[in-house]
Formats: sequence, structure tokens, C-alpha cells
Amino acid sequence: MRVAATDRDTTLGTTGRAVRLLAAAVVLVLATAGTVWGQDSAFPFGPFRMYSTRSGTDVPVNSTRIDAITAAGVRGPIADADTGLRRAEIEGQLPRLIADPSLLELIAQSYVRRNPDRPPLIRIEIVVRRYELRAGAATGQYSDTVLAAWDADDTTPEPVP
Amino acid sequence: MRRLGRWWTEPLPMARFAVFRVVVYLFIPVDVLLTTPWVAWHADVPTELYQPLVVGGLLNLPLPTRLVVLGVQWALIVTALLAATGRSPRLLGALVFLLYFEWMVIAMSYGKVDHDRFAFLVALAVLPTVGVARWRDRGRSEAAGWALRCVQVAVVLTYFFAAWAKVRFGGWDWVTGATLTRAVIRRGTMWADWTLDVPNLLVGAQWLLLGFELLSPLILLARSGRARVAVVAFLLGFHLMTYAAITIIFLPHVVALLSMLPWERLRRVTEDSAEDSGDAGAASGTPSSPVSAPGGRPDR
Repeated sequence: MRVAATDRDTTLGTTGRAVRLLAAAVVLVLATAGTVWGQDSAFPFGPFRMYSTRSGTDVPVNSTRIDAITAAGVRGPIADADTGLRRAEIEGQLPRLIADPSLLELIAQSYVRRNPDRPPLIRIEIVVRRYELRAGAATGQYSDTVLAAWDADDTTPEPVP
Repeated sequence: MRRLGRWWTEPLPMARFAVFRVVVYLFIPVDVLLTTPWVAWHADVPTELYQPLVVGGLLNLPLPTRLVVLGVQWALIVTALLAATGRSPRLLGALVFLLYFEWMVIAMSYGKVDHDRFAFLVALAVLPTVGVARWRDRGRSEAAGWALRCVQVAVVLTYFFAAWAKVRFGGWDWVTGATLTRAVIRRGTMWADWTLDVPNLLVGAQWLLLGFELLSPLILLARSGRARVAVVAFLLGFHLMTYAAITIIFLPHVVALLSMLPWERLRRVTEDSAEDSGDAGAASGTPSSPVSAPGGRPDR
């Protein structure tokens, strides 16, 4: 169907206007409720909480990464694109991964799917680097801690350090 | 209440709506393939790591297996490109909205929820309600006005509710904390790392950020085309600066922001060289002489 450009102004009927205003009001109420009471799981009506938590000026800044050892014996950090999960997603699931490190095998599986030509991973560690802050400024000091680890041939959960 | 209703359905140029709609639909393949590639990564992630949102349970959405993720991805790209042609705007637009919504569920169900897409989702939800719209249309439409207004309100709410969340989760002393310092340590670029040596600078930036977010509803008061262009330029500057500092950009939100621009002037620019002269004034939107003969011109 070909419709020519039109010069006409168009208005809404009573019903069309009422339905539209009602729909807008419902979305407004849901978004407000999500902001006031909701959690992330209420997406798309959850709170808009990126960077909303307060970081203390003397509390270390945590930065999580995944370190791994490949079957070729190479050790190093693994990029988000290699695991299929962003750092923030790993951090979001951290309590679960610490409670049951055997879940890290799932990350080894997605590594193989995303990198079929590379040697598979035989060990995965979730490492948190804590950068020291003093009065809101980085001191340059940091420490690394392994939060959870998994080995290819040994799927028994390791104790939490 | 009546006045609010009139404001929300104030007739706006159909041409503005038509251009904005094409921009939104053409952005989808860019978003899916280039600028948000990590959603498609989830195709390779075992479903045991899927952490369903409330909406996934309510609507009984399928587990995002590899087949589901790749199927939604390509269906979404194809449908969005078809919708960008302007054909069957209601049917194709509704399909794009549903597919993009599912795409977002796939995105946000692995332990991290972003909030850069609220206004874009609202845009996709309202775009199909207008029906056929062409960028050469000269008329104004209340349906288009409602849709554009919804997107603008959603843009503003993204800022305003972000301020609310900071007060809710961080407390009023969020402004004196080290949230931006933390952000720069974790993801700072060469353009931002120097700010770590000046702690009060980032605290000052936090004051400015919260202040701006709380005042963001004033954006809706920008009436003239010039004021709206200025607002969009300011906001684009803010988002580009954020990107330069910590490589986070709310790109879908930025696209939604473009709903404020007077796109109908594109038509005037192209027609000024033709028979249309004078009457580029903003107010009425109705040309002084109905000289255009749409059939006599190529459609694009």
C-alpha cells in the first residue's frame, strides 16, 4: 500500500486519547513503584540503580576477574567475550559461585563453545583485586584474593578461602 | 489533569515522528550486532547460569538456549529492517517491540541488570501506535505527539529515577562517597585516570551529577526547537564525556533522546531548494501555500 504524504492534521478520538493516557499512567505508576520498592529482578520496572550505591572513601575498591590455566599450561586472565559473561554478571552471581565452585565448570563449557580452536581451560579462579583507598584517593596498593576455584579433573568443591 | 492530558497529546509534526521512527528501527541492528555484542554471547552460556527475572517467570518465557538466543537475534534484526521501511507499521512495530523485549530479558537475566534501555523500550512500545507516517508529511498529529511525549518523559525519568535510586541505595551522603572513584579505578580510561589524584574533583562531579538528575524534569519545559536542540547537545555531551571516562554509554537512551530534535526541518531543508520558499517559521507547521504535489516528486 502506498500512501502519499499528507498535509492534514490528525486528532485523537475520545477513546484513543483515554486509552493512551491510561497506558502512560500505568507505566508511570509501575516505573515509580519499581524505583521506590522494586529490585533488579523487576526489570523493566526495576530501580535505576547503576552506580547508586555509596562507596566509602576508605573502603577498598573491588575489581573481579577470572584467571585460568589452559590445557597448554598458559596462565592468565580471561576476557568477558571468552566466557560469554560480563564482569558485572560474574559479580552478580558471585555468592552462588562461591557457595558452589563446581558451577565454574559451566564457565569452562562456555569458554570451549566460544573458543573452539583454543585449548580448553583446566583451572578457573575468580579473583578479586582490592585497591586500597584513603580519603577517597587510591594509594596504589592492592591485594588479590581467590574467591572460588575449579579444576577440570576434580569437580569436588574447594573450601572457601 | 485536563491540562496534563492536553500537554501529553499536543499535536506534533508527523514528519518528526516519521524520521525518529526510522532512526530507532535502524539502530536495532547496530545495537544487536555492534554496540551491545554481549547479549548474543549468552547463546554460548549454559542455561544453568540463567537467573530469570520476574517477567520471565510471569510470561513463562523460554530458557535462553543457543537456538532461542540466535533465533530471537536474527528475527529481531530482520523485523527491525522491515519496520524501518515504514510498511505495516503497526504489525511490524509490535513484532519488533516483542522481540526486543525478549532480547532484553536474555540480556538482563545473568546476574546484572542495566538501566540504559527504559526510554528505548518505551519508544519501541509506542512507535506502532501511530500508523503510517512519512517524513514528507506536513500535518501534525496528536497520536504522534503522544508517542514522542512518552519517549521524552521516559528519557527524563531515566535521569530522575537514577537520582532517586542513589538516595534510596546510597543515601543522601552518596555525593560525598567514592562511587566515581570506584568507577574510574575499575574502568577508567587514559582520559579519566588523572582524576584519581584529585579526590575532591570526583566528589564535586557527584554533586553535579545528582543535582542534574534531580533537576532533569526541567528538560520537558524546553519548548522551542532551539531550546530542544540545546538540551540534546548538552545531554549528548554528558554521555560522550562519560564514555571517554569509563567507556559506558547509554546508547539506546541516546537514540531515544533524539525524539526531541525538530526532524521535520529536514524536509524543509530539502524543499527550500525546490518550490517551497519562506514560511520556515516553526509555530504552525502548516505551509502557507499547499504547493507540494507529492505524486509529482520521487518519494525519497
